Amino acid sequence: MAFRVGIPRGLLYYYYGEIWKRFFEQLGIEAVVSSATTKETIDKGNVIDEVCLPLKVYFGHVCELEEKVDFLFIPRLVSAAYGQYSCPKMMGLPDVVRANFTQAPPLLDMTVNLRKGKYDLYRAVVELGDRLGKKPLASLLAWRKANVFIAETIPEKRQEPAMGVTIGLVGHPYILNDREISQDISGKLAGIGVQVVKPESVTEKEANEAAKYLTKPIFWHYCSRLAGVALSLIYSRRVDGLIFVTSFACGPDSLVGEVVGWHARQNHLPMLMLALDEHSGDTGLVTRLEAFCDMLGRRKQLC
Amino acid sequence: MLITFPHMGTFNIVAKALFGGVGLQVLEPPPMTRKTLELGVKYSPETACLPFKITLGSFLQSLSLGADTIITCGGEGPCRLGYYAQVQKDILTELGYDFQLIAIEPKLREIWQVAKRLAGAGGWYKLYASLKTAGAKLTVVDELERRSWYYRPRAKEWGQVDNVRTEALAAIDAANDCSAIYEVMQRFQAKLENLPCRCDTSPLRIGLVGEIYCMLDSFSNHDIIKRLGQLGVEVYGTTLLSDYVRTHLSKKRGALKAYQKVVDLASPYLGHYIGGHGIKSIGYTVQLSQLGFDGIIQVFPFTCMPEVIAKNILSEVSSENHIPVLSLAFDEHTGTEGMVTRLEAFVDLLSYRKKKMK
Repeated sequence: MAFRVGIPRGLLYYYYGEIWKRFFEQLGIEAVVSSATTKETIDKGNVIDEVCLPLKVYFGHVCELEEKVDFLFIPRLVSAAYGQYSCPKMMGLPDVVRANFTQAPPLLDMTVNLRKGKYDLYRAVVELGDRLGKKPLASLLAWRKANVFIAETIPEKRQEPAMGVTIGLVGHPYILNDREISQDISGKLAGIGVQVVKPESVTEKEANEAAKYLTKPIFWHYCSRLAGVALSLIYSRRVDGLIFVTSFACGPDSLVGEVVGWHARQNHLPMLMLALDEHSGDTGLVTRLEAFCDMLGRRKQLC
Repeated sequence: MLITFPHMGTFNIVAKALFGGVGLQVLEPPPMTRKTLELGVKYSPETACLPFKITLGSFLQSLSLGADTIITCGGEGPCRLGYYAQVQKDILTELGYDFQLIAIEPKLREIWQVAKRLAGAGGWYKLYASLKTAGAKLTVVDELERRSWYYRPRAKEWGQVDNVRTEALAAIDAANDCSAIYEVMQRFQAKLENLPCRCDTSPLRIGLVGEIYCMLDSFSNHDIIKRLGQLGVEVYGTTLLSDYVRTHLSKKRGALKAYQKVVDLASPYLGHYIGGHGIKSIGYTVQLSQLGFDGIIQVFPFTCMPEVIAKNILSEVSSENHIPVLSLAFDEHTGTEGMVTRLEAFVDLLSYRKKKMK
């Protein structure tokens, strides 16, 4: 019997979505990814309160998939690296889905905890395959093939510094790469005519190097990477200004934003902190971006 | 060296005994007021949680009174508390204060180093003795707290219970050694027992779950426990500081067993530890409903990650276990009157429900 496994297009999808899709394909299972976020997705996801916008959006995607698939793939990612955690919201994700969607299809909610070592990942992969009726070896092989394919895709080439204003745009990929959540900030910045440096253009090594400026390593994995990228941009002086995009009520970012801001101030680099939620207006955002870019342009002329 | 520490409910009594006992000079942070909160809010990141803002405000006040060393806690996540110290240090340094911040990280090596520094002030025996006194004070203060939950709705005038409690806290604070501390406890226990009571009542019982700072710090939670007592409710707080110490620091077997039981009860709803007290909020809600409690109040700082997750699961727990749950988030905009109105409405609902079920 052919299964259909649903992958909500939100949160961790923006880190691992491609690998997951290929993994299921390798196993001969159809993976259905929900369509891009719309206003409707946000409205549907608004069933839970006090959480950040990306989590609400994630729920909107679950709503969309709910009736179309036999399984929902919502892993519980406790930790993605040694000694670190993901974020409480990701750690409780399957439980919140279960509590709020009584009609939901069965969840594939295996726990992945690499806090104590990296082998737990393979255990989780085997468990996932087992739930879908696959043999351990087949699952592991599929996982390996999915990963190899990703490694073969060539990373984007770094752009040469241009004459105009260059702005570093940092934020979680599930915010920046979702046009509805981020309100297409990078597109808007391009429209204003500034060059945008995205987080992907900072290598893992550069980010880790820059993270040494922190007095204490950050224990949230994704934020630690984010802070590394931001600090690398600040200390390498590749950019004229920094825009830190976060969502309202994001716990880790409230402190990480402050830390990054502190380093930016120490290095006299202007930083704009944008906290987005479902009430953010489009026009207001454009005005703020324009004002910030104008200010940077003038500053550059004076220097 | 003038030491100060973060404020949290009655923790100041314990901290004074601990640091003062080894012969260090201690500056007790001034009592928290609106001003403390305003100071903290002014210099904190906008969406940081309430304990961050309050303790920052408290540190600012202590530093301007002349303190030059802050002892606070570290952590390894995923709760934000673990990163408080570094961010607060950056903020205070940027404001121009010259001080030293000692964050006690939950690693054996770090604890050892802090202990060595403390022992340096007065020797190892003094450190041992002051740890013992502080431990005794912690136990006794929490025991007193539990008694006051019980007696408040039962006393003829609830104000008398609070008078005794205030007196007792002052006496415990003044006591110097373990035997004196226990003697104080017995004296005040007898006093509480002899208060004129309304013995015929069987008050509503409400369990308090949620984040520890909001539960224990009467300034942050606008005295929720006392106010519930005034409304004739017997409150049961699920996490006292001594419980926390027994479970997570000294790892006593009994406490660990109790903790494991709560985690097991929570597991059908929440399958993994999510930091802070999220899993306990769910486990205790199940446990207290089995014990016949009339309702649950969940308290937490606005934007607290673990508790927000717990809150979104608690609605299901509540309907499956047939126990009403009220979630209250606190931040600098929380007004006392609004909170009291909600409490009154909740208590009315519970008493109506209780009558109907009889």
